[in-house]
Amino acid sequence: MITEVHFTEVHFTAPEEIMALLDGELAADRARLVTAHLEECAECREFAEILRSGAQAVLSWTLPLASANPDFGKRLADAAREVTVQERSSGISRWSAYHRRHWVAKAGVAALLVVVALISLRPMMMMKNEREASLGISPAAPTAPAPTGLNIREQLGMAGPQDRFTTNDGREEQRLSIEELKAQREALIDRLQEAQISSNLAVSPSTTLSPSPTEQSQPMIARNVALSIVVKDFDFSRGAVDAILARHHGYAASLNASTQQNAARSLQASLRVPAGELNAAVAELKSLGHVENETQAGEEVTQQHADLVARLMNSRDTEQRLQAILLQRTGKISDVLAVEQEIARVRGEIEQMEAEQKSLEHRVAFAIIDLNLAEEYKAQIGSASPSISTRLHNAVVVGYRAAVESAVGVVLFVVEYGPSAIVWLAILAPLTWFLYRRWTRATSLVS
Amino acid sequence: MLTFTQGSPEAFTELFARYQRPIDGFFRRRIADPARAEELTQETFLALLHAAKRYEPRALFRTYLYAIALKILRAHRRKAIFRAAFFGRSETTPDPTRQDATETGLWVRRAVAQLEATDREILLLREFEQLSYAEIADLLQLPINTVRSRLFRARIALRELLNPSSSAAAAPDPAQATSPGGNPQMMAEKGQRA
Repeated sequence: MITEVHFTEVHFTAPEEIMALLDGELAADRARLVTAHLEECAECREFAEILRSGAQAVLSWTLPLASANPDFGKRLADAAREVTVQERSSGISRWSAYHRRHWVAKAGVAALLVVVALISLRPMMMMKNEREASLGISPAAPTAPAPTGLNIREQLGMAGPQDRFTTNDGREEQRLSIEELKAQREALIDRLQEAQISSNLAVSPSTTLSPSPTEQSQPMIARNVALSIVVKDFDFSRGAVDAILARHHGYAASLNASTQQNAARSLQASLRVPAGELNAAVAELKSLGHVENETQAGEEVTQQHADLVARLMNSRDTEQRLQAILLQRTGKISDVLAVEQEIARVRGEIEQMEAEQKSLEHRVAFAIIDLNLAEEYKAQIGSASPSISTRLHNAVVVGYRAAVESAVGVVLFVVEYGPSAIVWLAILAPLTWFLYRRWTRATSLVS
Repeated sequence: MLTFTQGSPEAFTELFARYQRPIDGFFRRRIADPARAEELTQETFLALLHAAKRYEPRALFRTYLYAIALKILRAHRRKAIFRAAFFGRSETTPDPTRQDATETGLWVRRAVAQLEATDREILLLREFEQLSYAEIADLLQLPINTVRSRLFRARIALRELLNPSSSAAAAPDPAQATSPGGNPQMMAEKGQRA
């Protein structure tokens, strides 16, 4: 490349500036100076001539006249006219044109959103329908008479001047706004649910701790309540729970209290309360603080209990008959032994069923309250915390362990995956090298 | 272009008539196959037509048009490289004898082809498309001083390639060359000598 200097003098301009001057790209003040220098410096003038002749040589590369496709020019003019006409006739903005182009994508997104909404709403709708069905209320027929002879809302003290339900005495339905109707309907459902729970509790054999199954003509329901309560005074609430249990003749089946330092304290307990006193006990527990979550469930075990009692009676009859056979009949020793074995088997079954019966009756007699008590934690400035030296020591130990663990982890990783990596490298490296060579060769060919 | 976007289709026809030959030359100097060059020219004007709605006069129209052409050229080169690498098909080259008969200055073409890619592009844009340094810098996303120095380098290299015997010809040494405002003392000495 020509970069050697054959000038005998020091020049006051860079060669690039001479080139820029010839190209008309030099600022006016510098152009004046460079022009003046060119007038004085023969070598720079010669260099300028070299540049000019080089440019002339380059421009000798001419192309023949292109045989342009006349059809394309005509089609392009038509397309330009069409574009202009479309713009005029539609008058649609760029934004709407963009949206029009992407309507398929947007329709797909909308359909996806609808499907997601339906999927997410379906369980809620099903739960609502089940709840209403269990209460005997059809959402499609809000004007249906209440199941009892009287208006049930009157019984619940909710009947007002704007009651939309038709009463049995022929009062006409009054028109209300949709929002009011919905609100009243939700309130009615809640009240009915509570009323049903109360009635279930009332008819459950809860007043006696060991109800007689033969006297059970009403449904047996095992109650289960879950409560999550946030309390301000944890110590007081902890004592209050014990007091409530004592007052309602209940007990704690399990209790787990967590009192960590500098953290909110909590208590998880599984309480057993006589079913008849469940409502009162729950109400007192709820008064301890803010209820965050409450769940009530009831399992009807009437059929299961009746079946168990019947099987127990049969087994007892069988046992009596076997004992009569053993006492009254005579026979071989083997026969006697067989009868005794059969008596032992039946006796075992009877005892097992008696235990099941007791357990079942206990579940009905004692409702379960799963209580989760959490403290509303407030951090305290003066709370005791580990000293700085202890924390420093712990940090050093933890850091040391982490360093060792990470080093061991790296070694394990290399040992575990190293052989596989070597194998794959051996397979892929030649292929990659081959593709790279072809790529570079193609690049050089094309450019 | 603004006239066209405001609803005059004749304006686009005028644009096509004015720039069809320069754009065709742009592609024919960079692609060996004239037929393919013509296709790319057509693609450029079609792209211009479709992009007319988004046109904003932030730069010279010429720069805008050459930016589209450059983008189409790069896409063509990418595809050609891909085809050559994976299908073993290189760009179809025209018959050299026929080309010699119609195209002058083939030695210039061969010399230009030996330049470094960016230097070559800058040289072509300057010499044949007559773009200013600023426009080239804008198109190639380079600083304007880089454009100037690379253009200088390309011109010197091209001269050597075209005329190897003239290696004695020289450019002033940049190390010895100083800007007129950069060394007033030497300027004064020079003035006294004059």
